[in-house]
This record gives sequence, C-alpha cells and structure tokens, in this order.
Amino acid sequence: MLSYIVRRLLQSLFVLFIIIFITFSLPYVEPRGIYAPAYLALGPHATPANIHLWAVAHGVDKPFFFRFWLYISNVFLHFNLGYSYQASQPVWSILSLYVPRTIWLALTSLIFTSVIAIPLGIFQASRRNTAFDYSATGIAFVLYAMPSFLLCSLVLEFFGFHWPHLPVSPPAGVAPWLIFTDPGAFIMPIGCLTLLSVAGLSRFMRGTVLEVLVQDYIRTARAKGGSSRHVLFKHAFRNALGPIVTILGLSVPGLLGGAIVIESVFNYGGLGYETVNAALSGDVNVVLGITLLVSILTLLGNLLADVGLGLVNPRIRIEGSTR
Amino acid sequence: MSVLTNSPSTELAHAAPTPMWRQRTRIFFSNRLALASVIFLVIVAGACYLVPLFHPTNQTDASATLLVPQNANPSAAYWLGTTSTGYDELGRIFYGGEYSLTLGLLAGFITIVVGTIYGMIAGFFAGLVDTVMMRFLDALLSIPYFFFLITLISIFGRSTTFLILSIGLTGWWGNARIIRGDALLIRSLEYSQASTAMGASKWHIIRRHVFPNSISNIVTVATFSVADAILALSALGFLGLGIQLPQTDWGTMLQDGTTQLQSSNFWWEVYPLAAIFILVVVSINYIGDALRDTFEVRLVER
Repeated sequence: MLSYIVRRLLQSLFVLFIIIFITFSLPYVEPRGIYAPAYLALGPHATPANIHLWAVAHGVDKPFFFRFWLYISNVFLHFNLGYSYQASQPVWSILSLYVPRTIWLALTSLIFTSVIAIPLGIFQASRRNTAFDYSATGIAFVLYAMPSFLLCSLVLEFFGFHWPHLPVSPPAGVAPWLIFTDPGAFIMPIGCLTLLSVAGLSRFMRGTVLEVLVQDYIRTARAKGGSSRHVLFKHAFRNALGPIVTILGLSVPGLLGGAIVIESVFNYGGLGYETVNAALSGDVNVVLGITLLVSILTLLGNLLADVGLGLVNPRIRIEGSTR
Repeated sequence: MSVLTNSPSTELAHAAPTPMWRQRTRIFFSNRLALASVIFLVIVAGACYLVPLFHPTNQTDASATLLVPQNANPSAAYWLGTTSTGYDELGRIFYGGEYSLTLGLLAGFITIVVGTIYGMIAGFFAGLVDTVMMRFLDALLSIPYFFFLITLISIFGRSTTFLILSIGLTGWWGNARIIRGDALLIRSLEYSQASTAMGASKWHIIRRHVFPNSISNIVTVATFSVADAILALSALGFLGLGIQLPQTDWGTMLQDGTTQLQSSNFWWEVYPLAAIFILVVVSINYIGDALRDTFEVRLVER
C-alpha cells in the first residue's frame, strides 16, 4: 500500500510540474502578456520606455527558462506565488484568507452530495423505469441543462426576498469556524452547490449500480435466497464503491469550478470570487496563482480518491506493486 | 461464373438492402422526443437568425432605446416588454441567441476537432506517444476547467474570436479521452490487424477503419460539447466576462434580468428567456442521447 501511495504521489508531483509549466508559459503566448504586470503597476499612461525600464528592473526580460526556474523555486521553497501589482501585496497573502473558505464550501458540499446522491442513485437503479426513477431523471436532466448561476439566482431571489426565511448576506468574517457560529449564512451557498453536483452524481450512481445489478454474482446471490435489500447493499453497493470513490475524486474540479459561480452569486469571498475580480481588473498574477492553487487542490483530491480506491479495491494496489 | 451470379444468395443480396444511414435516420426519428427536440431547435435557431432580418427592433441602435420606456410591461408594441436599458426583450432574446448559438456551435466544433485529432493520434500510435500525450492531458484535466477558462480570458482578452477560441481550447480534454479510448480499441480489432498484415499504411488504417468506426462517438460527443459550450459562454456572460455591450448573449441577459428580480418583479426579463435557454440545452443533450441510441448497432433492424 505504501509503495502504491508513494508512486501516486510522485505521479502527482510530475503532473503538478506540467501544470506549473502550462500556467507559467501562458502569458508568453500573448505579445503583451509578460508585460501585463508592468502595465498594471505603472498605470494606463506609462510610456513604452518606462514599461521597458520596469521590465528590466523586475527581471521580466530574463530568458524564459531562467524565470521558470525562479518561479518553480519560489513556489516550492517559499510558497511565493508572485506579486499582485493591483493590490500591491504578494498573491499568497491575498489568497491565504480565501483558501480555507473555498475548501470549506467545496468539502461540505461534497459530503452532502455523497450523502444524498449515492442513496438516490441506488434507489433509482433498484426501482428503474418507475415513476420515481423517471421524475428523478427528468429533474436531473433539467438541473444539468440549467446554467448554475440561474439556479442560484432564483434560489437567492426566492428564499432571500419573496419568502425571506434564509439569511442572504454571506458571513462577514473570513474565519472558517464561522460555519459553527453562523451556520445559517452558509445554507444557501452550500445548498446550491450540493444541488448542482447531486444531479450529475446520482445519474452516475444509477448507471454504475445498474451495471453491477446485471452481473452474474448478483443473480447467484438472489438465487441463494438473499433478500433484495441484502443483495442491493451487500453485493451491489460494495461492488459499485470503486467507481464512486473515483468519481468523487474527479468531481473536485467541478465543485471548485462551481464555486466560482456560487461565490459570485452569494458574494461569498473565496477563491472563485477573487478569480472573477482579478480577471475583471486584469490582475493576471492573481488569476495564475489561483489556478495553480485549485489545481493543487484537485491533485490532492484525486490522490485521496486513489488511496481510497486502493483501500476499497485490493486488486488495484496489488496490480500496482507487481507492475 | 454464370452459375454463381444466378445463385439465390446473390439474388438476395441484390434485393436492395436499406442503406445504413436511412436505417439510422429511421431509428433516430422513431424517438418522438428526439424529433420534438430537433423541431424545437430548428424553430429557435430560425427565429434567432431570421426574425431580426424581417422584423428589426432597436437592438443595434442604442440611441433608439432612449425613446423607449425602460422595464415596460409586455404589451402589443413590446410582446415581452423591454429591458432595463430599453431594448425590446423579445428582439433581444433573438439577438442574444445569435451570439449564444453561433459561439456555442463554433466552440463546440473546435473542441471536437481538437479532441478527435489529439485522441486519434494518442490512441492510434499508443506506446510512448500515448503515454506522453496522456500525461499531458492528465495535467490539463487537473486544472479545474472554469478557472483555466478565466485565466485564458484574462490573458487574451474578451473579443468574440478569443471567447470562441478560449471555450474551444479548454473544452476538448474530456473528448480527447473518449476518442483515444475508441481509437485504442479499434486499432486492436481484427479488421485493423488484417489491414496491417496486408501492408496498409498507418494513415490508411486511421482513415478507413479507426475514424469511420469511431464516428458514432465523435458525433455524440460533439452534440454534448455544443451544449457545454453554450453553458460555459452563459456562465462567462453572467460573471461579466462574456460578450460586451451593445452586443449580448443569453448569459449576460439572464444576469441583467436576475439582478433586477431582487428589487422588483420584472418577470419578463428572466423567465421567458430562462425557459428557452433550458429547453435549448435540454434538447441538444437529448439529441445527443438519441444519437447514441441510434448508433447502437444492436438496435438496428436486420
């Protein structure tokens, strides 16, 4: 198991290296790209000569690989993601406030999603082609087709203004423990993010359990006289667990991406909210820093999912060690 | 020789079998909901592209909006009322639809072309090429899609061309995965191996075997890509990163409408468009589902 984890960790590090390479080289594709911070720092009236002087002073004109090496060593050794010339402070000092809040939002939603979607999918699969299954599928189809911001705006409008029983203002502070002192403020953002991901996950769950239900061992278990509940939970669910763990890991980027819209609708200060602000004001360094951070979070999610997969499915870690 | 041509088996073969595409078309349209989806999409697209030509409203002339009451109720003059800036809402829906549908189609097209080429190369050449290309794809897939999209837009700007390119160039990762799986499978099948054994070039096998046999998945995936691109564009519009005024798209319009909804009940600025939007995306997704069934060989009547 340990060698399996170590190997997955090394793979993730390699992927992280490629991601950094991609995000770092993106500004080089645009003619003015790497000078964008200079334009931000010097304002709209800067002359080309000033821009050039600034670039030389800040090492922007240094060779690509030299700067890439500097960036990498900054990120890994000092956790320095660059400097925001818009906010006049290091990118990390802006983001460090927001990271826990977004993790909170995504993690709580992930927990609620699995608690709701997994039983729902199993239930749908065991009662497939009934009125319940059709209506759940229909709702999921519409939720899937609905732009997430529209759903959130309508929820906010209904529960916040027409039938005002939920607090509309997000928690004022940035401390993550606010969820315990002021839980009401989190109901709408977390609820919406959960609703959005339940649509996809329950659909996946239904498909997976349906696939398992046609297997021979299920028929055998039934033939041996197992009750349908016993067969469903002891045999079908356990065998569907592998794909579920994988998809939970893979749903991390979707949850984080969904957080962009949720945070913007509910004014919930977090990484997504900050991304939009930075993109609107042209603060490329912050956007790149956030992209790198959420990628690291995604990699961590996938890594945890893979370790979990190794735990629920011994074949995977054994296959890995003999390879 | 003459004996052979007169044999009953060749007679049977000449009894004009229904062409494959016609069988497929019949299967597709025997699905009533798929038929309804196609008709609905044709009507919406037709309205978006044609109605503005025959029935011009005040969409392209900002000064004309000054003479119009803002947020007016639906009336005989303005069937769906007017927006907060005085545009005719119904005309605005068609006008915005042109952008949403065109950008969605083009971006979806890019995702499927890039995804197909990438997936085909990786899957067909397998080995080291496949490993390198797939590790690169793993890295891309670990960057949450929407963050990457916003990164591209913040670097390259928000012109219509770059919006199409950005959505197109961030949407193909999943497609490439699916098509690579197909290519990998078809390449190992007997007919491809037979072709190789008979000395066919790699290009020939891709062109004659791998591509035609994965076309079903490509078409299905393309349909979903268009729906996803329309959704992505609308989300960008909502965040204020979409198409700039005076042009508009459905996402930007819904954003304008929903922000007003909190203070006053201008329902016509949200619900009609929301219904059309959701139905368009549901229809496209449903057509994708129906296409998948159509290409399912087991359903073809023999």
